[in-house]
Amino acid sequence: MATMREWLRRLSGTIRRDRADQDLEEELRLHVELLAEAAQRQGHSPEAAARRARLQAGGTAQAMESMRDQRGLPWLEDLGRDAQLGLRMMRRNPLFSAVAILSLALGIGANTAIFSLVNPLMLRALPVREPAQLVELLSKFPGEPRNNAFRWNVYEHFRDHNHVFSDLIGLLPRRAEVSGDALAAETVSAEYATGNFFPALGLEPALGRLIRAEDDQLNADVVAVVSWSYWQNRFNHHPGIVGRRIVVDGAPATIVGVAPRAFRSVLFGSRPDVWLPAAVGRRNDSRFALGVVGRLKPGVSIEQARAEMRVLDRWRIEEAAKTAPFLRQLTIELEPAGAGLSLLRDYYGRPLLALMAIVALLLLIACTNVAGMLLARGAARQRELAVRVSLGAAGFRLMRQMLTESVLLAGLGGALGTALAYFGVDALVRIVMSGRGVVGLAGPLQQIEAHLDAEVLMFTAAVSLLAGILFGIAPAWHALRSAPAQSLRETGTAGDARSKRLFGRGLIVAQVAISLVLLSTAGVFISHLWNLRNVGLGFNRHGVLLVTLDPSRSGMAPERLFQPYQDLLSRLEAIPGVRAATLSGVTPIHGAGSARFVNVPGFQEPPMARQYTSLNWVAPRYFETFGTPLVAGRDFQFADQGQARVAIVNQSMARYYFGDGNAVGRQFTLDGQDRAYEVIGVVGDAKYLDLHNAAPRTVYLNAFQESRMFSHRFSIRTDTAPSAVAGDVQRTVAEVMPAMAITRVTTLADQVDASIVPERLVAMLSMLFGSLGAVLVGIGLYGLLAYTVSRRTNEIGIRIALGATRHDMIKMVLAGAAGLVAAGLIVGAPFAWWGRQLASRWVVNLPIDNPWPIAFGAIAMMVVGLAAAYLPARHAARVAPAEALRHL
Amino acid sequence: MSNKDKAGVLQGTLDLMVLQTLATLGPQHGYAIAARLEQVSGGALQLNMGTLYPALMRLEQRGLLRGEWGVTDNSRKARFYAITAAGRRQLGAEKAEWDRMADIMRTLLHEQG
Repeated sequence: MATMREWLRRLSGTIRRDRADQDLEEELRLHVELLAEAAQRQGHSPEAAARRARLQAGGTAQAMESMRDQRGLPWLEDLGRDAQLGLRMMRRNPLFSAVAILSLALGIGANTAIFSLVNPLMLRALPVREPAQLVELLSKFPGEPRNNAFRWNVYEHFRDHNHVFSDLIGLLPRRAEVSGDALAAETVSAEYATGNFFPALGLEPALGRLIRAEDDQLNADVVAVVSWSYWQNRFNHHPGIVGRRIVVDGAPATIVGVAPRAFRSVLFGSRPDVWLPAAVGRRNDSRFALGVVGRLKPGVSIEQARAEMRVLDRWRIEEAAKTAPFLRQLTIELEPAGAGLSLLRDYYGRPLLALMAIVALLLLIACTNVAGMLLARGAARQRELAVRVSLGAAGFRLMRQMLTESVLLAGLGGALGTALAYFGVDALVRIVMSGRGVVGLAGPLQQIEAHLDAEVLMFTAAVSLLAGILFGIAPAWHALRSAPAQSLRETGTAGDARSKRLFGRGLIVAQVAISLVLLSTAGVFISHLWNLRNVGLGFNRHGVLLVTLDPSRSGMAPERLFQPYQDLLSRLEAIPGVRAATLSGVTPIHGAGSARFVNVPGFQEPPMARQYTSLNWVAPRYFETFGTPLVAGRDFQFADQGQARVAIVNQSMARYYFGDGNAVGRQFTLDGQDRAYEVIGVVGDAKYLDLHNAAPRTVYLNAFQESRMFSHRFSIRTDTAPSAVAGDVQRTVAEVMPAMAITRVTTLADQVDASIVPERLVAMLSMLFGSLGAVLVGIGLYGLLAYTVSRRTNEIGIRIALGATRHDMIKMVLAGAAGLVAAGLIVGAPFAWWGRQLASRWVVNLPIDNPWPIAFGAIAMMVVGLAAAYLPARHAARVAPAEALRHL
Repeated sequence: MSNKDKAGVLQGTLDLMVLQTLATLGPQHGYAIAARLEQVSGGALQLNMGTLYPALMRLEQRGLLRGEWGVTDNSRKARFYAITAAGRRQLGAEKAEWDRMADIMRTLLHEQG
């Protein structure tokens, strides 16, 4: 306790200087005076007494020094002095400092920005009891994204028969209409929760009580729990909220309590305002399905749970296979859910980890770069350091001084980097949110909460400190090793040790190697993106405007929409710049679709092989609008209305059901219907739901042959930029159907891009970081070459005097640069190769056989190398021999 | 280095002596404490300033002493140190510990002798 107080006092003494030097000196002076007086009283002369007093008291200077040490924390004061000296050194070399700080800021800022996304999505634990015990159940069908959605009877089966979970809870996000006394009706974000949800998570109410098992019964009175923020925003923290009656989706409910403040949802990115018992959802929806989370019993591993759940899951699969045998391919998977449930992790997890690795490498380049610059500057400072060593500075103190300087650089870089990251994070979140969202349980993704919070800033501080030590240690060690006598004797220009020169070059080689890895990885991601966007689409994504109409509030019955829609299509085609217009139930890569089993007379297939065929209801000119080729037969016509039912199939469908023979003229039925469709045309394969899967077998039906019009997506092929006709299109819609609502206007290209946000994010950022890395390497190489040329001015002068041409000098410098780059490429190539393998394992369908990314990286590095060498080479060529020789 | 070691050996003893002096004599300035210790030890203990004053500062930082500027009998400005309540508690505890240790040492040395 007393010791603790002493340290606190000393800390405050360091900062506040509570007893000034003057104060201490006065105390000591009195001591000496009193001693001298005592000696005088014993009969000594004043001079002798003063001498005796000084001898007995000991040196005032030493006493002062001990007191100063005791007063504050000497190492802290030293640190302050080192930092002041470091700042002075920085001000003396503003260009060096600016380049170093900026390099580090880019590296640290990139790490901060990516980490601020990785942290909430993958690392931060939910504010619930023992979050590490939580696992989420995922259903997986080959070739499709995983999904945490299980029917109620399946949930019950799992809950009542498993031996591995202490609790199995279920939840489902929904929108709900809430109103009540003094509550304006509004749509809020709600979550259905099973009765064991809150107890299993160990959550305590902030007010009232939470949902209990007895609330989650079909015949129970409906209760509601609201979130802390809802309580704050709608009820201003009024405690009278408990017992309030509200109306949820038209049914009365009673608010019984408020959820704890820290708890948002177990669903990442979700912020429900209201929780309702799952029974409410079951009452309203016979197909009610919910997300399932289990809490592992103590001592049960996730592998044991997996094994047991696979056995229990057979029951679900058999139930599903009764109607669709191919669903036997379903499997169940378990994933840790301590950081919350998120399908976003399936989409962004690996890309984000890849980006984390990329920014770590970028920071490594920045560190290496600054280390190289410090090393070169260390040569310039060698005489200063040698003088300080000769004057008695301890080697340890000097090393600490150098490290303090580098940590200071890193700290400033980190501060600037944090500022850069502040804007970067916003941009990142915007990009991620621009995606079309993930299917299944994800529900409404409201906001990814990525901030530069305390955790992120701590990460940044740690990274900065580590970086500062990393790039500072080698130059500091070199500075220490430089023998003072030798340095003082020599003129400083030739004082470089051979090992140091090699080390400097080694740093450049390492930078080139890392940069090659970054660029070639970026190349892989970019070619992957290019393939996704361009290979095997089956439609032309450019030049199509998409407009979605919503007739539900227009007062127009679906049966009466045929004529207005046909009129609208012809009016749209009359707009200048429009080549074709059509409508359809589904547009490509929208992410939603329709599928059925197809029966073809005489066609036999094993039940397991029986798969859904994708469906789309389209108007005439659909294929023309989307640029999908008509391979055989004819397109739909408006005149088909009221005639025998017709269909157009894609080539996969034609090949599968009708073999090599011509599909045109053949017939099929949809499962569950008895009317037959006659195939009138065959079109090329086109991707349907998303870009990652090959085009499915697809049937197109004529939207104008149905009894009701339920296709409301209009697509317009334009000759110009599609957005240019958007205004005309909206005006035309308003003229033809004044009451019609337009719910969405976008372009096909944007819709496609919204489906591949993770790929775009990785491609874009890896290219950005790769380019930054290359620029840093260029700066580092330039610094080294400029330094080398200036050091070799004498030699170059002699060479020119002896008859070497300026051309030879340029060649010499360029060859030096090319040599360094080539060495870096040789070192880097295996790593680049390995990095590509790693990337391809992380992201499916990566074109790993393609050698171009590495070649691209190598060429880019050569260009950077030669560009960096240009100025030093010109400088070398301009050396005036007479001038150079005079300096000899 | 060696200076520090000596101070280290002396430290606990010196703290105890200073506390005891102030507990018996009341508030004193640094010189008076040194003079008293020299007198009590019969001249064997001559403290130099580099040992005494940092120790006073340390004890003050620990809250065992309180230092205040005041005026001596012959009207000189001096810094007076007084023992605090925490200091008295500490003194009591250390005194007991010292006696215990001294007993042990005496017994040990006696047996060995």
